Amino acid sequence: MNKVMSNKLVIALYVLPALILIVALIYVPIILTGYYGLMDWNGIGAMTFIGLENYTELLQDAKFWQSAKHSFLLALFSSLSLIIYLLISLVLAGKIKGANLLRKIYLIPMLLSSVAIAQLWLKIYDPNNGILNSLLEVLGVENTPTWLADPDLVLYAIFVAILWQYAGFYIIIYYAALKGIPESLVEAAKIDGANPIQIAYKIKVPLIAGVIKVTIVLAIVGSLKYFDLIYVMTGGGPNGASEVIASYMYRQAFGSYNFGYGSAVAFFLLIITLIVTWLIRKLTASEDEVQY
Amino acid sequence: MKSKWYKVFMAFALIALLALAACGNDEEEAGSDSNSGGETEENESGSSEGEEKTIEFMHLWPEGSSKQHYEIVESIIDQYETDNPNVTVEVEILGNEQYKEKLKVLSTSNELPDVGMTWAAGFLEPYVSGNMFASLDDLLEGPLNDQFVPGTAEAYALEGTTYGLPLELNITPLYYNKAIFDEHGLEAPETLDEFKEVVKTLVDNGVTPIALGNKDRWTGSMWYMYLADRFGGPEVLTNAINRSGTFEDPALVEAAEEIKNLVEMDAFLKGFNGLGNDEAKGYFINEQAAMYLMGTWDLPEWTTNEDNPQEFRDSIEYMKFPTVEGGQGDIDSFVGGPGVGLFVAEDSDVQAEAKEFVSFFVEQWGQQAVTKAGVIPATKVDTEGTDLPQMYIDILNDLNDASNITLFADVQMSPSVAEVHLDMIQALFGDAATPEEFASEQEQALADEE
Amino acid sequence: MAKKIQETDQSIAKKLGMGLLYLVLTIVAIFQIYPLVWLLMFSLKSNSEVFGLSPFALPEDPKWENYARVWTDGNINLYFFNSVWITLASVLLTVLLASFVTFAITRMHWKFNKLVLGLFMVGLMIPIHSALIPLFDFFLKLGLVDHPLSIILSYTAFNLPLTIMILLGFYYTLPREIEEAAVVDGCSVHRIFFQITLPMTSPVIATTAIINMIYNWNEFVFVNTFISSDKYKTLTVGIQNFIGQYLTDWGAIGATLMISIIPILIAFLILSNRIVEGIAAGSVKG
Repeated sequence: MNKVMSNKLVIALYVLPALILIVALIYVPIILTGYYGLMDWNGIGAMTFIGLENYTELLQDAKFWQSAKHSFLLALFSSLSLIIYLLISLVLAGKIKGANLLRKIYLIPMLLSSVAIAQLWLKIYDPNNGILNSLLEVLGVENTPTWLADPDLVLYAIFVAILWQYAGFYIIIYYAALKGIPESLVEAAKIDGANPIQIAYKIKVPLIAGVIKVTIVLAIVGSLKYFDLIYVMTGGGPNGASEVIASYMYRQAFGSYNFGYGSAVAFFLLIITLIVTWLIRKLTASEDEVQY
Repeated sequence: MKSKWYKVFMAFALIALLALAACGNDEEEAGSDSNSGGETEENESGSSEGEEKTIEFMHLWPEGSSKQHYEIVESIIDQYETDNPNVTVEVEILGNEQYKEKLKVLSTSNELPDVGMTWAAGFLEPYVSGNMFASLDDLLEGPLNDQFVPGTAEAYALEGTTYGLPLELNITPLYYNKAIFDEHGLEAPETLDEFKEVVKTLVDNGVTPIALGNKDRWTGSMWYMYLADRFGGPEVLTNAINRSGTFEDPALVEAAEEIKNLVEMDAFLKGFNGLGNDEAKGYFINEQAAMYLMGTWDLPEWTTNEDNPQEFRDSIEYMKFPTVEGGQGDIDSFVGGPGVGLFVAEDSDVQAEAKEFVSFFVEQWGQQAVTKAGVIPATKVDTEGTDLPQMYIDILNDLNDASNITLFADVQMSPSVAEVHLDMIQALFGDAATPEEFASEQEQALADEE
Repeated sequence: MAKKIQETDQSIAKKLGMGLLYLVLTIVAIFQIYPLVWLLMFSLKSNSEVFGLSPFALPEDPKWENYARVWTDGNINLYFFNSVWITLASVLLTVLLASFVTFAITRMHWKFNKLVLGLFMVGLMIPIHSALIPLFDFFLKLGLVDHPLSIILSYTAFNLPLTIMILLGFYYTLPREIEEAAVVDGCSVHRIFFQITLPMTSPVIATTAIINMIYNWNEFVFVNTFISSDKYKTLTVGIQNFIGQYLTDWGAIGATLMISIIPILIAFLILSNRIVEGIAAGSVKG
């Protein structure tokens, strides 16, 4: 049996096409990014080799660390919000009436492009005509917040939009995983007198633990390099209050024409992400499972 | 075992394979297309005059958002292709942000289009020092001699050589809603003190005085620039940037101080640091704010744009930015300058044709821009016999009488200093930096660059 | 007797709980479907309405001409077909390649499987903007700039890590008995993969296909950078057509977004049913 499943030729045939693609289109850019990170380069003229200067500058760059802090906060919020997504998925995958329709509705926001989502949330947060403040005014709040213009609120205001944007993504993964649980296991538990909450907690969740771990990694890695909505909604402002690592990198490379420095930021981001992923693996690994 | 779904999947897989195979054929065609820059170059150099030439032209006026601009460009190209049957102009159009991003990527691989659009001074500087743009001095001395409004083409010059030819010239009037002013018995102010009185009256009556979308930051920069001019005269900011002066000049700090005062008076739209310019303009158009400082590129909005109600357009007038008593600046000094201009790529293999095209384009554009698209060109305009809205004629007169036009600060500065300037503008407006910090951070950035 | 009372108590509590649950579910559903309604209204407004009035407001004078204009001025008709086939080709390539890899890593026995998996995972971590310039240079050297293959390959490469990760979670969960039995019966690896594993994982495949489809359909950074000819551009570029130097036509952008969401909505509704159907067809005795 091992012979069939360890056929080297087949393994090569299955793995190599994807591997070649990844190496050519992702690893080559990564290596070049690391290389540009050692240069003083505006992206147009000649490069000058400056060794690790960009990196030493980076370590002392308060704006970079501020944006790193925001990225980590986003990672924290995204992983916590997975709990909510999981709860919704458990309900939707349960045998309640209308689940099929509800599931489809719940996933609709996921179809919208970031352009549309950004516009929607800009309308929600508009300090004067916006949905949110109109609502607050009806409720009698007098000094309504300015949301995206308030350095203390802007980060969280955008987080809400991002978490909403990604809800569908995780719900659909959890949903598919839950639907993959053999019916017989659930039935058996019911006969033993377990209530739905017990079934969910003791049977369903442990059975999809592998998928949950994957989503934790995806949420954290995705958050650390997150860019889209932040760039469109605030451009990282006001005063850097919503800047994250990727938007800082973009502004350095494409705004200030510090392509060398921007590349160093990108490469550093990669290293941070690798370390964090390694830590998650250490923390969530259990003996019987799985090397992801 | 085999499900219906599985069959569908396999069918799709087959289609995909066919599609990929099909584009394998495409590849060869497209490959030879994209190589035309390299391979056919050799052929061309040895070939006769009548050889087919292709000029790649990249611009940022899509049909969707800038229909009149787009149509003028199309008609100029048509005309040029008719006059020069052996030349084809291949156009690529991108939106503003994407245009800048793509230009940057193309330049890293030295793949700029033969003709494209650039901004003045600081934007163009890295491209010139990277040897990407061709000198256009021969056009300025030849066919386009004395065609430009003085000071416009100069903004595209570096060390005496001009690398871009401007298509637009804008100044920045302070537009105001006469209906709102009348309602509160207000007149257009001429001094800063009168201006503050106006602001105060409006605030007391619950009207937002000024629409400002400072998420984009260059919007707030224009307010600052005017105050700097009015306090310290037309040279002070320019000198700070070109390093013959300093950003810690008292007038520049004083101007920053004044911004803080205005913010404290609630002169600007609530939440301005989180609003983009489009949103802020929306407030002005919906008569939720009384004043709006913006370039003359918005003139069509107040004159010809049918989307805005006639009643609104009739009530919009403009004023020159108020002066400061005891300040150095006079009321005829403006913030503004040339907008986009055309460049020719240094390593274009059809450089001669490209230059000829640019020359033709600039001339044609100058004749058509203002009447057809409401754009004030950087070439001299003859308004006689044209049927322009009154506001255009007034503005063109003001332009003629202007004592000075200070080029937008973020355009004057190199890209990295401009980023610092814009960030500090947002910080100043948002009360996250004192006027002194505002000045010293920019001084630092400018000094670092020397 | 006491038991009976307890039971009715329970059923009342249960009904109350269900009622509450449905109330919450419905409220959430309204939140989720409202954006679509909003987008429709947005697409019928002029710029001044978009920015001036409350977003709740119905368009005063619905501008259906936004749609007509988008269709002609925005070149939507041209971009539409490109979006469809490029998305389709990339999704199929990605899902197929990712399935191959995941199968080889989880089901087959070889020395470097963890290492290779690690290699794929690193691909998750690179922000696309830092890869943009090296990638452009790479495609330029291959002569693939302004060729659809450049975007198809980029989409595939950049979505492979994510797709493999999602597939992986499921492959680990799925029972292996059938595959093992097939090996004992003397099936070839290819037969096992195509005839047992693929059908068995069809719910996940549908899931990853949906995710890939949405990502590719809405992507524009790669298209903008690598493609310059109109004949290869996709729908998201159509949106760019309404973002000008000084003026952005938001109503038209709304209309473009609305048009572009329809095909993906249909594809989504079909595929999302497959998640359930697939299970029923390929279900395994636990």
